[in-house]
Order: sequence, then C-alpha cells, then structure tokens
Amino acid sequence: MQVRSVHSGSGLQLQAVAMETEPHPAKNLSVFRTTEADPARHSEQHAAQYYTLSPTHLRTVFPHGLPPRFQMQVKTFNEGCVMVRPPALEIISHLKKADYSKPALHYLLYGATGCGKTMSLCHVLHYCSTQGWLVLHIPDAHLWVKNCKELLPSSSRPSRFDQPVQASQWLQNFKVTNDHFLSKIKTTRRYVWTKRERTEEGRPLAELVEQGVNRVKSSSDVVGALLRELRLQAGQGDFRLAVAVDGVNAAWGKTSLKKEDKSAVLLEELTLIHNMRKMLNNDWCGGAIITALSQTGSLYTSRLSYLPQELLGQEGFDKMDPFVPVPVSNYTEKEFESCYLYYMDRNWLQHPNSKCESGSRLEKRQGQVQENSTGAGQWCPGAGRKPQRSLTPGCTRNVASVSGLKMLLLGHYLMHAFNTVMLLQLVP
Amino acid sequence: MALYRLSAVRWSRYNPYYMEPEPRREVYVSEKEKDEERELKRVRPIKAATSGTSSSLFSDSVISKFINVMMQDGRKVLAREIMTQTLETIKRKQVEKYHTATETKKLEIECNPYNVFHQALENCKPVIGLTSIQRGGKYYQVPIPLTDNRRRFMAMKWLITECRDNKHRRTHMYEKLAQELLAASANEGNVVKKKHDLHKMAEANRAYAHYRWW
Repeated sequence: MQVRSVHSGSGLQLQAVAMETEPHPAKNLSVFRTTEADPARHSEQHAAQYYTLSPTHLRTVFPHGLPPRFQMQVKTFNEGCVMVRPPALEIISHLKKADYSKPALHYLLYGATGCGKTMSLCHVLHYCSTQGWLVLHIPDAHLWVKNCKELLPSSSRPSRFDQPVQASQWLQNFKVTNDHFLSKIKTTRRYVWTKRERTEEGRPLAELVEQGVNRVKSSSDVVGALLRELRLQAGQGDFRLAVAVDGVNAAWGKTSLKKEDKSAVLLEELTLIHNMRKMLNNDWCGGAIITALSQTGSLYTSRLSYLPQELLGQEGFDKMDPFVPVPVSNYTEKEFESCYLYYMDRNWLQHPNSKCESGSRLEKRQGQVQENSTGAGQWCPGAGRKPQRSLTPGCTRNVASVSGLKMLLLGHYLMHAFNTVMLLQLVP
Repeated sequence: MALYRLSAVRWSRYNPYYMEPEPRREVYVSEKEKDEERELKRVRPIKAATSGTSSSLFSDSVISKFINVMMQDGRKVLAREIMTQTLETIKRKQVEKYHTATETKKLEIECNPYNVFHQALENCKPVIGLTSIQRGGKYYQVPIPLTDNRRRFMAMKWLITECRDNKHRRTHMYEKLAQELLAASANEGNVVKKKHDLHKMAEANRAYAHYRWW
C-alpha cells in the first residue's frame, strides 16, 4: 500500500497504519478522521482525530459560540470538523463522573493565545448538549464590557446600567439552543417589567425569553431573571445546567465604557456582568461551570499573559477558587500531522511546495500551522507581530517549534521575507 | 521569470566589481555551482541583498513586484498584508466553490491562488501599446511594441487603479482585488475590457504606425 510520508521522522499515524492494515488498493484511508460523532464516546483512541459536527447541531448548539475564523472554515469546507484533544477529553471525563447533588464545579481552560481554548470549550458544550443538558453559553464576555453604543440607566435599580442590544441578541441565541427546555421549565415568582407588562408565576420560560426579545428595553433584567430561575431549578434535578463562559476574565477586569459625564463605568454597575457573576458563584447544584480565559479581547492586560492568576486578578481568582485548571497547549506532532492531512484532504494546501518535505517543515517551524480556527493564506514566510497565517483556514495559534532541533537544520534561517540572503553553505 | 540582477543598473552606487547575491537555496544545496564560480565568490565582494529578497520556498518574484507596485508611502508591511489576504480570499472562494460543485465541475475550478493570479495577470497584459509622437505640430497616438516589463507593469497598474477608484468605498482592498483577479482570470471584468479598448485604439490608429522610427 502506498503510504506517502508527510515528513520523515514523524509519520507516526501513517507508519502505524502501514504496519497494521493489509494492502488494499481501493481502501479509502483517513487516519485523521473518526466516524464517531457522539462526543460522549470520544476517548484517548480518538485523540488527534477530527469528528464531524452535523449541520443541525452547528445551527442549534453553536449559533454564537464558535470562533469567527472557525466559522469561516466551516463555510469554506462545507463541513464543520473539530479535533478531539486531551483538554476537552479531560473535562468530559470529569463531567461523566461528577456528583450533581453537590455544588457546581468550576473548570477553567487556560493557555497561550490561539492554542484551542474556545474550541475545546465548544467540544465540551457539544457533549453537554447531546447529553440533554441545558447549555447557557456566553460566547465572549469581553463583548459585554466594551464598545457598547447604547448604555441605558436601568429601570429597576438606580445605580445600574443596561445593555439592551447585547442582552436581546444573547437571548435570541439562547432561545435557538434551548428551545425544547423553555416550554417545560416554569417561573417561580412574578416579574413586573413595566406598568402594563408582567410575567406571572408558573408561566413557561419561553414567555420570559419572548418578553426580553420583544421588549429590548427590559432585556437585561430578563436575562437576570432567567439566570435566577435556572439557578434555582437546576438543583431540583429535572435537568442539568452547563454554564459556559468564554473570556471569563472580563467579569473581574475593567470596562472601557463611560457614562455621559465621561466618568468610567464600574463592572458592578453593569446588569449583565452582575448577573453573570452571581451565576459563576458555585452556590447552586445540578450542573457545571465550564470557563475559558482569553487575553485576546481583554482590556488593560499584557499581551503575553495567559496564566489564571495574571488574567483573573486577585478578586477573580478568589471567586473562582477552587477550580479545576485545564491547560491547553499547542499541537503535538501527532495533532500537527492530523491537521496537515485534514487540510490536504480538503484541498486547502495549494502551493506545490507545501506538499514537499521541506515545505511542510518550513511551515511547521515558522509556526504557520495553526489550530482550526483562523483563516489563512498560504504563504507567509514573512514575520510580523501577528501570528503567521498560512496553511490554515481558521487558526490563531502557531504550532511553534515542536521538535526544534530537526527544524534547525533546514528552517531557521529561511524564515523572514526580509531575511538577508543565505550566503552560507547549507548542511544537506 | 528569473531575475538575473537584483539591483538596478543605471543608478546603482556599487562598483561594477561587486557581484550579485544568490538567494536561491537549490544553488547551494546541489552541486550546480562550478569551481570557477566558487573561486570568484571567494575573492570578489558581493552586494548586500535588499530587504525584499527572499530565499523562501513560497516567495514569488511576480508577487513581490505586485506588492511593490501596490505599496504606498513605503508601507511594505501593509502591502504584503493586503496581498496575503487577497490570496487567502481567492483561495477561500475557490475552495468553497469546489466543495459545493459537482464532480465534473470540480476539475475545472482552479483553487491555487497563485495560478489564478498569474492567469489574471496574463489576461490583463496588453500586446501592443500607444505612444504620443509629434508630427507637423500635431500629436498622434502611434501604436508601438511593448517590452515584457512594460506590459507586466501596465497590467499591474491597471488592476490596482481599477480596484482603488472604481469599487465601492466601504469594501476592503483585498476583497476588491480578489474579485477583480477572479474576473480577470476568466477574461471578464473592467481591466480586461480596458486592455481590449487599448487594442482597438491601436488597431484604429494603425495608419500612423510608420511615424515610429525605432
């Protein structure tokens, strides 16, 4: 059987297959894909393999959760494939074994920019959704603390500020994800929105969400009421609640919003953030709180910081404590190979040199294969502060030197487009 | 098209004794260099390479030239970014079309953005040009042959000015360029139309061709 080695020395997957399988010319070999589409059945044997998200799940489970680059990739390839990686597998195994009569556990995904925290979070949420949990996904908490054009003073409390646009948009997406739950869960008390509008006790949550979507002015308060209801009722055991927050460090960071008299708005004064903080408090039972840090959208943090202590700050760390930290790192050799084969399969690697050995090594060394969430061109030998966007439709992170020594032989002085020309003899 | 000289001839401040640098790595890896050449390199000084030269496997001289033509105010980084994004956009559009097409159509779709770019540039290059020659007090538009460099430059210039001037102002340059390149590679679009107009003008003025004396 013809086994084309991607690059010598690390054709782990292909070598393994070559030894095991019998020669069969018509066999369609795909070592980087797995047919197991149910996240509950993913395990270490599926590590570094891509599983396909069905179009219905993409629409319902992830109306707003996926990173924008990954969404572009889904559109380009006409399919959504997620790689099974150890961080997600770890959290899923914890979720399977946890005791849901005890207070909710915090899980925190952390790692350098572009390593795959958001994608791991999405994988875990897919698992929760297929297991029938109620998924409360806040795709990016940073969007709630900056660039808000309309900041209304809250009608219910004097010192708070509402964000109608963000709240109503989030409620719409929430409805898309959890439609089947909204008719079953009932409110436990009466909510009065205005003189003429109120939601009685015992009405289905669908009405509450409708109220928030239609009457944009009270949507932030509706979000608060909704979170309160879910917190109270998750403990009663009918359903399990998964609270997923991406960019959770926004809840304890700073805002860039200003009041009309140009003074800064504090985080406590924002209704949405206040309610989110109450949700992140682990005083409720019957679910899990899965969060991911994010430096990319955060305000007033150094670009290089990625550890929980640095991004959450003192207050945030104390509130999140105790949590299960899950580090997310760059691609390993096997994962890189899998990604490379996937892109070859999807006809994304077009440059003839990217298919040869030195080309693929170059890309690896230059850190140009990135995880599946940003789009990329195909060549970018040049540098710059931005992550090199080559080889991948949707990645943010460099798969930097995985095995640096090997790369040094060929790669290290070929990097920048503005390099000086090689005048030295290369070691062949 | 291989450039045999990396720096200009006429305005170079270098002593003619200096030799050109060699950026291509295959020359060093294989034994293509002959002994006399290697001796020369030991003795004679070599010019410094410009920042724009690259020995990368992914570098392309035509693309580098296009980036230089697109560059404004010396902002090379921005010009390169735009070019990268353009190539990415072209690839995305073509790969998307590829994955939604039927089996027979798949073979016709060109997914490689470099090939699309080269094809588009080829389709935009004029074969014959016009120049203004004065005879008896009047200026006539006379058809003249063009050198390869001139043709390439005209094609690039037309592409860039078309994208800058005649598109909706809220679209990004890379989107505009991608659209124009894809259209040009299929022999459609305003730039190819401009080339055809030039050809027609030259054909119309062929009576004045004898005014050219070189």
